[in-house]
Amino acid sequence: MSDTHYPALSDIDAIQQAFESAGYICTTRIATVVRLAAALEKPVLIEGPPGVGKTELAKTCAMVVDRPLVRLQCYEGLDESKALYEWKYGKQLLYTQLLKEQLGDVLDGAKGLTESMERLHQFGDVFYSEAFLESRPLLKAMEEDNGGVLLIDEIDKADFEFESLLLEVLSDFQVSIPELGTIQAHSKPLVFLTSNDTRDLSDALKRRCLHLHIPFPSVELEARIVASRVPDLAQSMTDQLVRFVHAIRSLDLKKAPAISETVDWAKSLVLLHANDLDGSLVQDTLNVLLKYEEDIQIAEGQLPKLMAAAAG
Amino acid sequence: MSIDSPQTARAATSSDQLLAFVQYLRGKKIPVSPADTLDAIEVAELVGYQNRSLLKNGLAAALAKSRHELSVFESAFDDYFQPIPERPLASVQSDIQPDGSPTDAPEQAPHTDPVAQGEDPLDGLRGNSLFDALESRDESALSVAIETAAAEAKVEEISLFTQRGQYVRKILDALGDEALRDAAIEFEQSEPAAFEAVQALREQLRERVRDRVERAYLIHASAATEDLLDESLSKLKLGNVDHSQMARLKRLMDRMARKLAARHGRRRRRYRRGKLHVGETVRRAIPTDGIPFNPRWRKIERKRPQIMAICDVSGSVAAYAKFLLMFLYALQDVLPRTRSFAFSAALGEVSDLFATLPVEEAIERVNFKYGGATDYGRALQDFSELALAEVNSATTVIVLGDARNNQADPRLDLLGEIKARARQLIWLNPESTRLWGTGDSEMLLVKRHCHLAKECNNLNQLERIIDKLLSDKR
Repeated sequence: MSDTHYPALSDIDAIQQAFESAGYICTTRIATVVRLAAALEKPVLIEGPPGVGKTELAKTCAMVVDRPLVRLQCYEGLDESKALYEWKYGKQLLYTQLLKEQLGDVLDGAKGLTESMERLHQFGDVFYSEAFLESRPLLKAMEEDNGGVLLIDEIDKADFEFESLLLEVLSDFQVSIPELGTIQAHSKPLVFLTSNDTRDLSDALKRRCLHLHIPFPSVELEARIVASRVPDLAQSMTDQLVRFVHAIRSLDLKKAPAISETVDWAKSLVLLHANDLDGSLVQDTLNVLLKYEEDIQIAEGQLPKLMAAAAG
Repeated sequence: MSIDSPQTARAATSSDQLLAFVQYLRGKKIPVSPADTLDAIEVAELVGYQNRSLLKNGLAAALAKSRHELSVFESAFDDYFQPIPERPLASVQSDIQPDGSPTDAPEQAPHTDPVAQGEDPLDGLRGNSLFDALESRDESALSVAIETAAAEAKVEEISLFTQRGQYVRKILDALGDEALRDAAIEFEQSEPAAFEAVQALREQLRERVRDRVERAYLIHASAATEDLLDESLSKLKLGNVDHSQMARLKRLMDRMARKLAARHGRRRRRYRRGKLHVGETVRRAIPTDGIPFNPRWRKIERKRPQIMAICDVSGSVAAYAKFLLMFLYALQDVLPRTRSFAFSAALGEVSDLFATLPVEEAIERVNFKYGGATDYGRALQDFSELALAEVNSATTVIVLGDARNNQADPRLDLLGEIKARARQLIWLNPESTRLWGTGDSEMLLVKRHCHLAKECNNLNQLERIIDKLLSDKR
């Protein structure tokens, strides 16, 4: 157990408090999983609808343990040269040009091809050494001396092949580079993977991870989140607003508003110096909450019902 | 036994329980690997068994790997780790005391003493450990006895639903229920009150044993039974599937569709890289002194197959049409542009119905709108007018029907035209191959005008055909 690695993450209640003071209100379930991830040294696969704070969880975690956050954003076509490492071709070429003359000296007096080759061999693989290695996020996370937090964001956007590439990193915390050998993590990082569920991930990947599903929060929890993010908003307003958002989520919408949208809405209401959630104000600011014209129309049609729900 | 400290003993039984729970989860179709099990044990040690919700959250993180599995896990956890209802002895005794004091343990021995109502016929049974445990409701003694008997009866070997009665009998025998039964038979005529009492106790015992067997069945066998049902269902003629099996069939179909979608979705990506793009590679090599460090490959454009399904919805074939359409629409991930047409007398496009309505309802509508006496000639004519222009080298046309045309002209010329334009023309016939060409069946003629003609009347055959179609090898 590596509790000593991340002493901040050795107790569930302490985690909840630390996260809260960092501005992230988390449920016991989330805190439990973070605790287990630190203790079992396993990556956490976070799933859930967009905007419930999956990425934020990893960022906050980095803040709480006070280690650097290394982030890898996934997209279709992401490959190892972008994720693991790449050789610095330019530098290699430049150096071969510059060292041409030295090369002449080295080979000076060598008779025949075999002898020249032998001399060259004596210098080993100078051009394939760490000096010419460009670390990409995964390798970088392995190289952090005191561990760190590795965030692999939106893994479901990456190709299927990329998942297989991750397996070695996730289960053994090492990266194999054929020219150099295997590079082991100096100190195992905390790994978070996020997924929006756009496709099924492979079983092999799932098996290596602890699984955390973050749903939309309850009214109370969301009210706490909004209150901590937008402290300027009056408590009564916060409650109304959160109840309104929850009522909207129960409608059949193209995209239900996420927590981040609730927070944005709360912020804009503060900017507008609103003291009370009334119909015209809602109508004017609905576009902060809903991102599709159809959704806005649906919500406007149901406005009296939603307002009643907000009034509680 | 005394060597083990109480803690290690507890830990051992707890991890045993955890293992049994893992078995139970597997029975609920949550795939738990041995590695997951080890994780779960480690998790349980970390969070401890004291706090139920903590344990639940922790185990969920290790064992449930998707949202669906999470909901199954949560209900399974609640079912399995039910807080055991405490039945303290004291309250039980207070129930009994009004009847007379002799139920207290120390007074069992003097059974010769006449009780207030005269000789108690049950005294003959006292001393029988099973009877005593039942009468005094000694929970721990009873559970131990049942567990021992269950182990003796090898209840964990139960494999079928129908074996439950048999195992209940075996366990009861091992418990020594026979003595009680004999006593009951003896009392039946002479002592009705004692008979009632013994029978009541036996019924309690039977109930507990039944629970025990039920649990064993859930843990060890329900998965096997489910598999058996699934397997037999996928071989059953689709026309014979009745309402009660529909839900299961739908589930099975979705699972097959998911599997096919995963397999073929993947393959489509894998073979995308084509030949070297020489021009671009040379251009890219300019900054590196002509050394092609960064080659560029051409991409192979793979057309997704488009499917047009033409289904006979007349009485005899309607059920099969329904399943074909259900299957195709379950595959929407890999076959996004499926168009469907239904005919009996006339033909019409029904894609919109399927896009907007739940499958079952759409089928009803289709049957209502296009039902009537089958006419393949007219249907093909209608199809040609409606959609032939859009049939191209990426289109696979599937016709589902028995090719029984009531002696009318089947218009094979139109079929030939479709074949010439389409990538593939597949005819699925729910009738067995032996019946092709008998009576008014035009199947033997039809067959010549298709790339592929197959018998298709159960889920397995359907899966195989769709699999072939997706792999797109002619």
